[in-house]
Amino acid sequence: MTQPVLSVRDLKVEFVTRRGVLKAIDGVSFDIAPGEVLGVVGESGAGKSVTGSAVIGLIEPPGRIAGGEIRLKGERIDNLPPEAMRRIRGKRIGMIFQDPLTSLNPLYTVGEQLVETIRTHLPLSAGQARRRAIDLLAEVGIPAPERRIDGYPHEFSGGMRQRVVIALALCAEPELVIADEPTTALDVSVQAQIITLIKRLCAERGTAVMLVTHDMGVIAETADRVAVMYSGRIAEIGPVRDVVKRPLHPYAVGLMGAIPSLEGQADRLVQIRGSMPRLSAIPPGCAFHPRCERAFARCSVDRPSPLDRDGRKVACHLYDEAQAEAAS
Amino acid sequence: MSELPFVEVRRLRRVFDVSKPWLNRMLEREQKQYLTAVDDVSFTIRRGETFALVGESGSGKSTVARMVVGLLPPSAGEVVIDGVPINDPARAAEVRALRRRIQMIFQDPYASLNPRWRVERIIAEPIRAFHLSASAREVRERVGELLTLVGLHPADGAKFPHEFSGGQRQRIAIARALASQAEFIVCDEPTSALDVSVQAQILNLMRDLQDRFGLTYLFISHNLAVVRHMASRIGVMYLGRIVEIGGGRELFVKPQHPYTRMLLNAVPDIAMTGRLREAVQGEIPNPINPPSGCTFHPRCPFVFDRCRREVPPLEAGVACHAVAEGRIAAA
Repeated sequence: MTQPVLSVRDLKVEFVTRRGVLKAIDGVSFDIAPGEVLGVVGESGAGKSVTGSAVIGLIEPPGRIAGGEIRLKGERIDNLPPEAMRRIRGKRIGMIFQDPLTSLNPLYTVGEQLVETIRTHLPLSAGQARRRAIDLLAEVGIPAPERRIDGYPHEFSGGMRQRVVIALALCAEPELVIADEPTTALDVSVQAQIITLIKRLCAERGTAVMLVTHDMGVIAETADRVAVMYSGRIAEIGPVRDVVKRPLHPYAVGLMGAIPSLEGQADRLVQIRGSMPRLSAIPPGCAFHPRCERAFARCSVDRPSPLDRDGRKVACHLYDEAQAEAAS
Repeated sequence: MSELPFVEVRRLRRVFDVSKPWLNRMLEREQKQYLTAVDDVSFTIRRGETFALVGESGSGKSTVARMVVGLLPPSAGEVVIDGVPINDPARAAEVRALRRRIQMIFQDPYASLNPRWRVERIIAEPIRAFHLSASAREVRERVGELLTLVGLHPADGAKFPHEFSGGQRQRIAIARALASQAEFIVCDEPTSALDVSVQAQILNLMRDLQDRFGLTYLFISHNLAVVRHMASRIGVMYLGRIVEIGGGRELFVKPQHPYTRMLLNAVPDIAMTGRLREAVQGEIPNPINPPSGCTFHPRCPFVFDRCRREVPPLEAGVACHAVAEGRIAAA
């Protein structure tokens, strides 16, 4: 088996506040193989973005990584000193954020920003770096890159800016790209272009991608595997087709049913009662049990651990019971 | 006469002056600049129906919504609701009576509720403004009733908006819209700021209330799947014009206009894992200098000479020369 590019084991992230310690991430484990796109979905507050920030070492105080380990190609990166982490960021891990305007410096031309990033990470001369920047811009689909490279970010449209950000993320040939809601700020027609682009470029280079988004549609079309997060934990993780078409975890079932689809006309959408608990009041046992239609006594006491089932991992006692029955 | 449409929008147009200040224009020798946000938009909504407008940002859908409720005067055209033209100064008294029956729900429930008012005061405001209840006790009872109706507890009335989540706030906004016994509710992206599971709750609630009170909705959204779920008829907007209008089913199964086809093809949808998509070309052009003729022509795969010169009229539900001439086979 090939070594995973990213391997996260039992990750815990906490935020220390006046009202006590909030567990934003509580025991999250997953791997991403080379060239694989892992989608991370969940609703706001599920901890998907914090997971991404933890991997690139951008958890700011009062947040801290409270446990577990993060390995990049087998090498631990969660306990590296800030300077060493800074060298990995941008070089070995590229980042694409939601709002392209905030990830680009408005005072520098697109070319200056690309050349600076390229030269920080690769031993190239200014001329070579510029050449490479133009190639990259052409590759991400910016027309007339020789001319556009000297433009400022405000001279680009939203979709074009996001293309520049993708070029920036890929310029040092990273092994892993973390894309946090890369298409959320864009219009649907542009959204599709950006998804296709990220997917194609990463497939060509064998770059692993962690795609964080709340949009199941984007995940369904882009990701190879998907992790459904709830209250800082992974409820279900597995191949995207299985999880979307036949979800096992009751939360995943509810989530998929709640999404209106272009095909088929359901009269009513599936409704999950209540809303996600606040971080300060995560229920004991399974965090989803107060909202779960199928909860039973054990769910409110015992926290389910991920079980292997149908090629995926599900954290739900329902399947534990089924297994026990099958065994007896 | 039940044949008469409840809401009728006729050739609505709205132009915004986006010129620089006078002095800058003089110094830089620039002309005044105008942006036509909405151009020649007509549609009708029957009583008890949900009509939706979809489009990407800048397509003018929210501007139409604002004109329909009377928040923004149109530059040309008119809006007639239940037989009353709402921008006719000669019928101001009738328009005032009509106001009670029209309400709006906005996208951002964090911005549309006054943070300094308790929820009961927010919901009671339309009741008081239209003198619908005589005594304070009646108002309180009615507020409690409305809160229960939208799935909250009457005791929630004593709280402030910040104590509620986004979905609960949108419920409060719906309760406020219902407080004046509105019949026609304009919803501008009512669920865009919400998480999917909460969105499902709000959409289901809106449908239940429609069944119960026979409400008529004008539903504005950029999300095609949501629109498909909610609306019986849909208008697709592009750069201020309706390019295609039709029943929800037909439009999604047999889209005709090239833009509708492109949009439907572009939307990431959970039912379509692993399919190959056609690459969409280009982005929405700047509305200050829209392309000549059909504004979609620079992105259209079926473009020919006539599209660059003439604006296609909306005929049989589609505004496209290629469709009118039968040059595109039905999808």
